[in-house]
Amino acid sequence: MGRVPGALQQTVDLLHKKLEQLGALKQQGNFSVDCETYHATATASGQPSKLLYVMHNSETPLSCMALFEGGPCLVADANFDVLMIKLKSHFQNAKGHKVECRGWKYRYSDFSIKVGTVTMNSSARGISAEVEYCPCVVPGDCWNLMKEFMQSFLGSNVPELPSVFTVKPEGLFAPSDCIDTMTQYLELFNKLRKLQMPGSNIRV
Amino acid sequence: MQREEKQLEASVESLISRVAYVKNALHSFIYKLENEYDRLTWPSVLDNFALLSGQLNTINKLLKNEKTPSYRSQVIIPLLLSPDRDDDLAKLTEQRVPVFSHEIVPDYLRTKPDPEVEEQEKQLSAEAARIGPEVAQKQIQTLNKLCSGLLEKLNNPRDEREAESSALRQNKPSFNPADTNALVGAVAFGKGLSKCRPPGPVAPGLPGQGPLMSGGPTLQQVTIGGGSGQQPSMGGPVSQQQGQPGKMPSSIKTNIKSASGSMHPYNR
Amino acid sequence: MEAPPVTVMPVTGGTINMMEYLLQGSVLDQALDSLLHRLRGLCDNMEPETFTDHELVYLLKGQQGNPFILRARRSLSHPTAPWHLRYLGQPEVGDKSRHALVRNCVDVATSHSLPEFLNEMGFRMDHEFVANGHIFRKGAMKVVVTKLSRILVPGNTENIERLSLSYLVELSVLAPAGQDTVSEDMRSFAEQLKPLVHLEKIDPSKQRH
Repeated sequence: MGRVPGALQQTVDLLHKKLEQLGALKQQGNFSVDCETYHATATASGQPSKLLYVMHNSETPLSCMALFEGGPCLVADANFDVLMIKLKSHFQNAKGHKVECRGWKYRYSDFSIKVGTVTMNSSARGISAEVEYCPCVVPGDCWNLMKEFMQSFLGSNVPELPSVFTVKPEGLFAPSDCIDTMTQYLELFNKLRKLQMPGSNIRV
Repeated sequence: MQREEKQLEASVESLISRVAYVKNALHSFIYKLENEYDRLTWPSVLDNFALLSGQLNTINKLLKNEKTPSYRSQVIIPLLLSPDRDDDLAKLTEQRVPVFSHEIVPDYLRTKPDPEVEEQEKQLSAEAARIGPEVAQKQIQTLNKLCSGLLEKLNNPRDEREAESSALRQNKPSFNPADTNALVGAVAFGKGLSKCRPPGPVAPGLPGQGPLMSGGPTLQQVTIGGGSGQQPSMGGPVSQQQGQPGKMPSSIKTNIKSASGSMHPYNR
Repeated sequence: MEAPPVTVMPVTGGTINMMEYLLQGSVLDQALDSLLHRLRGLCDNMEPETFTDHELVYLLKGQQGNPFILRARRSLSHPTAPWHLRYLGQPEVGDKSRHALVRNCVDVATSHSLPEFLNEMGFRMDHEFVANGHIFRKGAMKVVVTKLSRILVPGNTENIERLSLSYLVELSVLAPAGQDTVSEDMRSFAEQLKPLVHLEKIDPSKQRH
């Protein structure tokens, strides 16, 4: 969900308030998700290569997730960042494209909620809300429940079932993993990045 | 009565002569140790020990002999103690005991161990009495087990060790420098590994030098994606991007295809 | 490519500038048991560890300069274990004061999607082999005794042929840059393996041809 930057904090506060009214408990500590963008300096074949995203999530602090948009993903340990330094003559870090998302964690019964502010180049660009239903690993089994829960504080802004799940070959019944979460964050970041005019009001 | 006395006398005499043998053997051994230590070989030291041990055994046998009267029942009483020098005594004892005084008699005629030894023995008996027979049995078994285990270890690899050292003695080479070079070249540049590769493999000066990484067993521990097993979903604009991720499976397939031409590792 | 300026790039985690100190040698098959026997005596008391790995060496070619090499390794005996991705820098062999070969080293544990991912990055597999053998440790030192096998049918790790009648023996330590004292320890350990194995600082570029 995106908002006029000036009103971002207001929206975040509103979401927090709604969650607290529901009875959700604020958890210790913040969460953060960040994303670096790399592009290949040149490929031997000459064809343009896709962008490589290297992401971190404070929920999996020892891991480093590397993704190609719509392509293969890799979960690695933190040394992958060091490897990217070694690879700098082949993959350049697009400095201006660093995206970060920071915010609070809430807990409501079996739901874990993370509301964060997305910043790009240290300017706020939008708000993210992550909802996780912890007891279940099969998205299709709990989607309706999650939708209902999200309606209680997002109102009409509840999204459809994330595409990462609908495109899985096994349909709705494949277990989700941390890459699914990061893919969703990446999609959100890329969407917010494309919003050139910060003045526009976006609806989901 | 007379017969018994004679028997006693005879046995004492033979005991004295046996002890004299031991004395002589000890004497010559000590002499060798002190004066010929530079030429003394280990086997000859062992010979000396064997001689002493044999003579002591003979004395033991003599004492246990049925015909030997029990010295234990004989009583010796010092009749006259004198602080003056006794030349006869000194001569008899090779100048070791010049006087028969009240100072030395208790030492030479005592029939019990030294007080300290007695004390130690008492402690040991107390200790032995304290632990029950079952515990004692157990300890004996443990000790036996340890000993036999040790013996086995000492006996078994002896053949191996001998084989190994004899191999070394024969100067059989245990390594081949040419093999070392071939193996180092293989892990560093894949030299000799893949014939399907075009010749003139990789440009010189590569960061190469094959690492034989430790592989599976020593892989450092990583937390890979703690989030698995949970089910996340995001509010917000997520769902609008359905089109793009929709390509995911097909693009993975393409990748596998392009990779599997000659080298995909999952072919097996 | 060596000694990169550490601060220019953002790094969230990981250990920068780790060096691998390495000594290499080999032992004939018939002397393997003697060597293992001796290593069991010299090394830390632990359960004997064996491994069977499949290593794939990938190259990334740029417009100019040397290709970038990465080594991907997976355990055949523990198929669910993470893959191991390794970068090795140019070895520093010139320094006579150091007893071991020293090179920059980055080890990354990764998920099983590594081959597809490397392909997407533009890497192409150059060669592959199977390595099996024994691992010993003594403090920070690691001794790996490896039989190398070539893969006859690409990708098929069942159909292999051993490369030589010897095992490769490697003694290595990972340490932050500048801790050259480790090479002293390695040398004295290597002394204890003589005359069974001679572990030396071998310049791999001399083995190329």
